[in-house]
Amino acid sequence: MESITFNIDNGYLDGIVRGFKSGILSISNYLNLTQCETLDDLKLQLAATDYGNFLQNEPSPLATTTITERAREKLVAEFQYIRQNAGPELAKFLDYITYSYMIDNIILLITGTLHERDTHELLERCHPLGMFDSIAALCVATNVQELFNTVLVETPIAPYFEKCLSAQDLDEMNIEIIRNTLYKAYLEDFYEYTQTLGPTTAEVMGEILKFEADRRVINITINSFGTELSKDDRAKLFPTCGRLFPDGTSRLAKADDQDQVRLAIELYSEYRKFFDQGPGTERSLEDRFFEYEVYLNKRAFLQQFHYGVFYAFLKLKEQEIRNIVWIAECIAQQQKERINDYIPIF
Amino acid sequence: SLFRAEDISLIQLYIPLEIAQPTVAELGELGQVEFLDLNPNVNAFQRAFVGEIRRLDEMERKLRFLENQIEKTGIKPKPLTGNLYYGRTRTQQEIDDLEARLTEHEARIQQMNESQDTLQKRYLELSELRQVLRETAVFFEQAESRTDDPLLVIQREDSHLLAGNPSPDPEDAQDQRDSGRINLGFVAGVVPRARMGIFERILFRALRGNLYMNFAEIDEPVTDPGTDEVVQKNVFIIFAHGREILQKIRKICESMGATLYPVDSHPEKRREDALAVISRIEDLKHVLDSTRNTRRMELSKVAESIEAWAMMVKKEKAIYHIMNMFNYDQNRKALIAEGWCPTNSINSITYALRGVTERTGSTIPPILNELRTKKTKPTFHRTNKFTAGFQAIVDAYGVATYQEVNPGLFTIISFPFLFALMFGDVGHGLLVTGALVYILWKEKELNVKNGGEVIFDGSKPPNLISTIRWDMFFGGRYMIFLMALFSVFTGLIYNDLFSKPLNWFGTGYKFHTEHDHEMRVGEKLWTYAVGIDPAWQLAENKLLFLNSYKMKMGIIFGVMQMIFGLTIQIFNHIHFKQVQYIYAETIPQILFTVSIFGYLVFMILYKWSVDWLAVGLNPPSLLNTLIYMFLAPGSVAPSEVLFPGQAALQVFLVLLALLCIPWMLCAKPYLIWKESVRHRLQGYDNVQGNRDSLDSDRTGEVTPHNGDGGHGGEGGGGEGHGEHEEFSEVVIHQVIHTIEFVLSSISHTASYLRLWALSLAHAQLSEVLWDMVLANAFTMKGVGGTIALYIAFGAWFYLTVCILIGMEGLSAFLHALRLHWVEFNSKFYGGGGRAFIPFAFADFVEANGGPAE
Repeated sequence: MESITFNIDNGYLDGIVRGFKSGILSISNYLNLTQCETLDDLKLQLAATDYGNFLQNEPSPLATTTITERAREKLVAEFQYIRQNAGPELAKFLDYITYSYMIDNIILLITGTLHERDTHELLERCHPLGMFDSIAALCVATNVQELFNTVLVETPIAPYFEKCLSAQDLDEMNIEIIRNTLYKAYLEDFYEYTQTLGPTTAEVMGEILKFEADRRVINITINSFGTELSKDDRAKLFPTCGRLFPDGTSRLAKADDQDQVRLAIELYSEYRKFFDQGPGTERSLEDRFFEYEVYLNKRAFLQQFHYGVFYAFLKLKEQEIRNIVWIAECIAQQQKERINDYIPIF
Repeated sequence: SLFRAEDISLIQLYIPLEIAQPTVAELGELGQVEFLDLNPNVNAFQRAFVGEIRRLDEMERKLRFLENQIEKTGIKPKPLTGNLYYGRTRTQQEIDDLEARLTEHEARIQQMNESQDTLQKRYLELSELRQVLRETAVFFEQAESRTDDPLLVIQREDSHLLAGNPSPDPEDAQDQRDSGRINLGFVAGVVPRARMGIFERILFRALRGNLYMNFAEIDEPVTDPGTDEVVQKNVFIIFAHGREILQKIRKICESMGATLYPVDSHPEKRREDALAVISRIEDLKHVLDSTRNTRRMELSKVAESIEAWAMMVKKEKAIYHIMNMFNYDQNRKALIAEGWCPTNSINSITYALRGVTERTGSTIPPILNELRTKKTKPTFHRTNKFTAGFQAIVDAYGVATYQEVNPGLFTIISFPFLFALMFGDVGHGLLVTGALVYILWKEKELNVKNGGEVIFDGSKPPNLISTIRWDMFFGGRYMIFLMALFSVFTGLIYNDLFSKPLNWFGTGYKFHTEHDHEMRVGEKLWTYAVGIDPAWQLAENKLLFLNSYKMKMGIIFGVMQMIFGLTIQIFNHIHFKQVQYIYAETIPQILFTVSIFGYLVFMILYKWSVDWLAVGLNPPSLLNTLIYMFLAPGSVAPSEVLFPGQAALQVFLVLLALLCIPWMLCAKPYLIWKESVRHRLQGYDNVQGNRDSLDSDRTGEVTPHNGDGGHGGEGGGGEGHGEHEEFSEVVIHQVIHTIEFVLSSISHTASYLRLWALSLAHAQLSEVLWDMVLANAFTMKGVGGTIALYIAFGAWFYLTVCILIGMEGLSAFLHALRLHWVEFNSKFYGGGGRAFIPFAFADFVEANGGPAE
């Protein structure tokens, strides 16, 4: 049924997004980029790609932040275009995607306020996809209750927030817990939602979100070593929609060091290679995660008539921006030997 | 000439580094050289002149900035005038000057923008403050009238407390804002109206309702100097109790993008403030105006020459891009350029080079060498405004292989002619001719720079013009003109003017009524002088007659055009020194076509030339004759006999046609095979086959073949691999080619029947239009008839122009195009060439909005 009706509402945007996807830099583009000597060369090279003249009006000594900003602006513009043209169902799906950025922004603002940074400076650093009207008022709040009652109650992520109202004071630890609780709730909710969007979307998005959940589980476990987070509290932060749930998560909940994490993961063939530290590989765990994420997202494009492509496109493009920034940083800091540590997409 | 592409030479230029730039500039103005990229392996940013290009990019950025500013200010930049297009050569010095000037202008304007922005912001703040003061005054007055308000009582006390406190300098809004040291009091400010709702909600939630808020709308919209957006704003004043809460309110206000203004609680002080603010606003306005004026003057100065500068930078950039394609000779301090140029233009190029040397006073002139080359040369047809349109049609199908016969030449006549066969109508032809005469007469003025759509109120309908690009139409004006003229001619032959015949010479028929029939029967007395007798228009059997006539005519012209196409092959073969292919390919093809379709044409003409009524025989059906010529060779049904000896002739022709097929199939591969054998006998094969057959120790060995070896594609065992595959490829190619030719000769002939079909459709449509729209109006009498005729004529004319000229014209154009591309070109035209694209400034001057030609 999907193949009959999908294109009525989403055919145009599907085409658009697949077109955008074919503009993603290929390996030969990256080879050219890595040969650049200066950022101006980089600009010249990027001008020949889909980025076009996005840096055209920037005065000459380029900063990597400008590149990031402009690239992100372009991506956001593309996303907004898709969002504006989307039908109700797709629009809701796209909104779901933006919730994760909202969570990031909220956490950023709270942390910033805690460290008494300037609100406007913080606002500039927020991701434009996660902006909402009353976001600036976040810095007024001093405790969680207030935070919720003043601002968040009318945002779409309010239901997620309700679960962490028990935490009282806003300190580093609590913010971290809030972030992870929010993410857990968000991921579970998003996962539930994608499972209602027809079999293909459910399958593709399920794969991606399961991995996302598992990644969070592993990250939380590893990062909690040596902190005062109790094992019970840690287990409460694990999203329950991943592949690791319930068996793997319960093992991880008991883990005390890296080796135990590895043992717990060992049973899952897809994830085993994350910890296979072969000789000569210098990739960090995070890079491996990114690689696998890119692989999953790329796979989303192999299927037709589902919403996963929109999510995958955004994630691939973000990875691409991370790559460009990495290369740009390497060039700017004259660290040519590490320039090839980007994650190729196509 | 248009018959063949011009001779192209590969030239090599040694240009001393000092004068490289002016030399390339000069060649760019000349526009006769296509430069080759000599460093294809070098990355774009590793080339020699990347620095210069980057500098020019920067200049372009500045120009864009200035242009933007000019546009915002609403000054019209002075358009380029003709002589500036091809301005004198620009020296390095001038470019440096320009850069300095641009930088200076940019800096000045940016500075002015900045100061203007700050002033504007100040002005804005002050005017907001004035609004706040005015509106809050209203609040306070309202409040004073209700003295029982407890809030107000406290607030009054508070203001008494404050009264003795001298307020800080009102200019410093920041300080003033902090002056709210009141424990209980109010906060006043301005907030964008769109955020009012959220603002209120958050305040309410944050303070749990412990506040009293009042707001008023500011009537005049405020323009934000940063983004140029118009924002509607509200003035608000919040009363609340307690230092903490006031702090919180302030914080919320700030985070919501509201601006707070100090308002004194003392009414007198407020009045004073208001007066001060007003006077300061006046002052600021003066300053602002003068800044704006200076900026405007500066910008209009820039606007004078910005277009010229932009062009200059653009040309300069193109020059450096070209120079990046050159080789740098370290020893001789010279750039080496290679490129194609028409052999005829070498002289003008040398002349131009000499001119550069003289002008720059360089001691070493650039040197031009002509190189021999085996590379495929680009195809260059010199066209003028008349032939360009026709050549474009051919090029759209495929650019001619270097120096093969160019169908563009024949297209000039055959295209309008085939078009006219389908479009034949004196009236429609004359309408289009009229429009085109006007366009050609006003050619210069209509040659607009506007590359987009232009609504042109000529006799072509506006809805058509707006959908087709004016350029396209204008570019093909001579073609359309010829098409229209030819349509008038064919219209005369068809004797058709808006579906009505012209009876200029008096019909050749005399009519009398026969008693046993209802209808009148015409008796032919003489032949009408030009075209078809007008009497046919009214005849019952008009369609029968016209269909048969137009169908046969279509076939005749089609066969003629195809045979003509085949004969052109001969010119190609002779030119490329492949005379043997004339016998191997061209002659069997021509014989095949002639023996079947040439015979058909002959039969048509023969049948026309016999007066069958006078002979007293039934005219035989040509279609059956042709079919039975193959189905039952050697016999002709007695009722179908055209002429004596027909059966024998037909047998001969069929045999001839059948013979042609193996001839086409085998002869060419055999020749190719023989050639390769000869090459090998002369010992050349090692040179050729070295690459592929190093492993084969039998390379030089030759096995003799028998004559038919070509057919099977199995070469001798001793041949190298490459040779072998190549040969079997040739055979396969030839088989496909032959089958295609034989089959297509039938389908192509049938395809020319579209000449009849479209012409029929056109005539019928115009007849229907006349009968249904205009003819009805003629039957009415009196005043009503006049009005009806007025309306009907309008409708008829409009439909004629839209449907018959516009749509039918397009469809006839399309079919004429197809007949040329498929039926005609496939007979001889390879079209595997590459167009010659010289480096010429004129090109991108046009792309920049110059005249489209």
